[in-house]
Order: sequence, then C-alpha cells, then structure tokens
Amino acid sequence: MSTPGGMIVCVHLPRFELVAAAGGPEALSGRALAVAPSGSGPARVGEVSGTAQAQGVQQGMMLGEALARCPTLELIPGDPVQVAQAWEQAARALEGIGAQLELARAGLAYFDGDGLRGIHGGEEGLILATRKALGRPVRIGVGPTRFCSLAAALETRTRRARRVSEREVRRYLAVQPVGILSYRPQAAAIVASLQQLGLGKLGALVKLTVAEIADRFGEAGTIARRLALGYDTPLRARRVEEELRESMRLAEANSGLLLERTLEVLVDRLLARPQRRGRTIRAITLSARLVERGTWREEVVFRQALSDPHRIRLALSQRLTQLPAPAVALQLAVTEFGPAGGDQGSLLDGERTARLVRLQDAVGQVRTLAGPNAALRALVVDPRSRVPERKVLYAPWQQ
Amino acid sequence: MRSRTIAKPAAPKAPKPIRVQAEHGKPVAVAGVRVEEVREDWLVDDRWWTEQPIHRHYWELITVEGANVVVFHDKLVDRWFRQTA
Repeated sequence: MSTPGGMIVCVHLPRFELVAAAGGPEALSGRALAVAPSGSGPARVGEVSGTAQAQGVQQGMMLGEALARCPTLELIPGDPVQVAQAWEQAARALEGIGAQLELARAGLAYFDGDGLRGIHGGEEGLILATRKALGRPVRIGVGPTRFCSLAAALETRTRRARRVSEREVRRYLAVQPVGILSYRPQAAAIVASLQQLGLGKLGALVKLTVAEIADRFGEAGTIARRLALGYDTPLRARRVEEELRESMRLAEANSGLLLERTLEVLVDRLLARPQRRGRTIRAITLSARLVERGTWREEVVFRQALSDPHRIRLALSQRLTQLPAPAVALQLAVTEFGPAGGDQGSLLDGERTARLVRLQDAVGQVRTLAGPNAALRALVVDPRSRVPERKVLYAPWQQ
Repeated sequence: MRSRTIAKPAAPKAPKPIRVQAEHGKPVAVAGVRVEEVREDWLVDDRWWTEQPIHRHYWELITVEGANVVVFHDKLVDRWFRQTA
C-alpha cells in the first residue's frame, strides 16, 4: 500500500444502475423504485431510489423485507447492457478531458488530477471540466488516496466538491462511517460484523491494534485498518482502446442451434474487423436483449489471449446456456485486447513452456475422459536391444 | 459426453502373430503372399538366464507384392510372429 500523496479525484454518480434502468434521473423523482433481483442467487433488491430509501428500503435487502417496508415499491428489471453503455460513454467523456481512469464500478471512477490541474487552470477548473464532461449531477471528492477521495465524494452534496488535504486525512477518515468499506471488495465482507460489534466509525477501527484486528477479521481487517489510516494502493488506470463490437438481431424465437449459429457469425465478423489489427482477444462481453423487458450481460475472460474462432466460440457457447430468457438480439464486444499475432514469446523458452502447459492440459482432459491409459509416453529404454519390443516401452504420463 | 476407459496398449514394437508357410524351416509364404526373396536371417538367444528366455529365428523377407517384412519363428512355442525392427 502506498502512503498518501498526490491528488486523486473520485467521481461518483449515485444510483447509476437505477437511473439507467429507469430511463433517466427524472424517472426517479417521487417514486419508490428498486432494481429487481437478478435471475440467479438470492432475491435481493439492487439500487433503490431516494423515496424508497426514506421508507427503509436499502440496497441488498431481501425482496420480501423490502416489500414489507415499502408496499408501493416498484421493481424495475435491471438493464446491464444499458448500464455498461452509459458508463462507457461517461468514462470516455472523462477521458476526453485527459483523465486516466480507474473504473471501480458503474458510477464510480478515480483519476489522478495532479497532471491535469495545469491544463484546466487549477483544481477548480479541473472539477468544472469534469462536471461539464459528464453533463449531469455528479459527486466529486478529492483526496490524497482513492479511499479518502471516495469518502469525500460520498459525503459531499452534488454542487460542491469536497477536498481533503494530506494533513487532515486521518482526522477526516476517523469520523467516517465504516459502511464506506463496502465500496472496497477486499474489505466489504467485514462491514456488517464491524457494525454489529458497535464499531460504527473508522476511528474506532484504528484504535484497535493490528494483532487484534488480524485475529478477528484476518486479511480483510488489516486492509480495512490501513485504509482507515489513510494508506491505499496506487491508482491503476485502464488502457484506452477503441471499441469493437458486433451485434445481430435474431429473427425468430431462438433455439440453441440458432444462437450457436449467430454466435459463430458474430465471432467471425469480430475477428474480421480491420480495427483488430491482428491483435488477440483477452476478454469479451457477450450480451443479449431479452424478449421480455431487460437485458443480459456476461463478461468472459479467456485463460489466454485468443484469435482462434473455434476456441472463442467454445468458450462463449457455454455462457449462452445461462441466458435467463429468450433473446431478440445478441452482441459481442471486445473488452480487452491481447498481444498481436498469438502468444507473446519470451526471451527464454516461453513458447516451449506454453506448448508444454497446453499439452499437459490436453492430456489431463483426455485422461479424465478415457482413463489413465488414454495418454502414455513412449519411452526409449534400450535402443540397441536385439529384441525390438524391448527398445521402446509405454510409460505413464507424469502430469 | 459418453466416456470409455481405454485399456493399456501393448509395447510399441510388440510382435503380432502371423500365418507363415515354411518348408524345412524356411518361410515361403507370409499371410498367403508368396515370398520372393530372403534378404537375411539371424538367431536371437537372449535372457536364457531368466524364466522368460527368448529363442527366435528372424527372417527378413521380400514378398512378391514388394513388401519388406520381418518375421520370426519362436522356437519355444513353435509359432510365427511379425515384428517391426
């Protein structure tokens, strides 16, 4: 973890997913809304509107409890595709002012403002440029670390940016609620336990020793304590790459075969795009517009960067089975490119090692299917033997 | 997917039984194909100190079809086998 320093800007667009699913911020006014539970897992509501929150409904609450607290609660199907598109649009607008972004989640991003102050005429100019680029109400916090700027952004009102100086970091964080930790995946799991133990503020967490925290909460606890002390990991900005996507409408009620065929065409089209410039693909987003209202989105990260259509199709077709409802349109978008021209060779014998790893993997799969004798090694034991069958023997393949 | 366990195969150069017609111990036809020429023959007596001794008379033959075949007569069991070198 790094020590405080620099100027990290946190941009927070509250209820981003709900706004995207509802069709705009004006749709939220005066209505008790919540994003409906997704198809898989326990039925918990997603983001909730201010009106619903005022009636005691919170994000992540079980659906039954949420409806009991607020009988007029309206459930809106989640629209992950629209959310991703809107967030990408917002991110590109911010990158347009020169910001190198780290995207934490939809509606929450960080960037280092140090180098941008000169371009936009100081800190105020930078914040103004940020608001202008987004063109919608946004909460902005500025601090020496990501966590500190996040706390500032969550505290501030829409109109004013909150600035926390390096000198006041610890004092400032000490009075912040531990609930902020839920925005950090490494520490989110312990928030409920901390609250149950009566540790409502980060200051109370800091008063405990490292040994006490580690004993009770493990690594998550020590990470949380360091964050509360004002230490954080450095910003990891994403690489800016051009968008590459292909989509296709499905003419009729889709069957597995039609979906497979459509996927095949989309993969071929995507790989044929000249903008790919021979690069391999490391991650792809598969999304679908469903017959009923709503969309479905799944990000697939390949174990290694690929440009082989067969292997890409193989990886993606397994995800198609998770479609919650029939789809009317299917879309593929490249999330991250890999190196050009296949596997990246290394200075030493990287190619040989990679080939061996692939071979081991294939042998493992074959042996699982057909038993230990499905793949054997031909071992030359006595090449000069006068008895031919003693020259070479089959030996077990050592994984 | 239906899986099927594969049995362990024999050694790569394991001898395979073959039908050989012989006259006075010398092969004249292999698997019904007449032998055109005997290129070479040799004896292998090995592992006589073990419980699995080897006593073979190898023949390298050219058939009328132009194939080059190596067969041997196992003297212990009195049977013919074909083998790749």
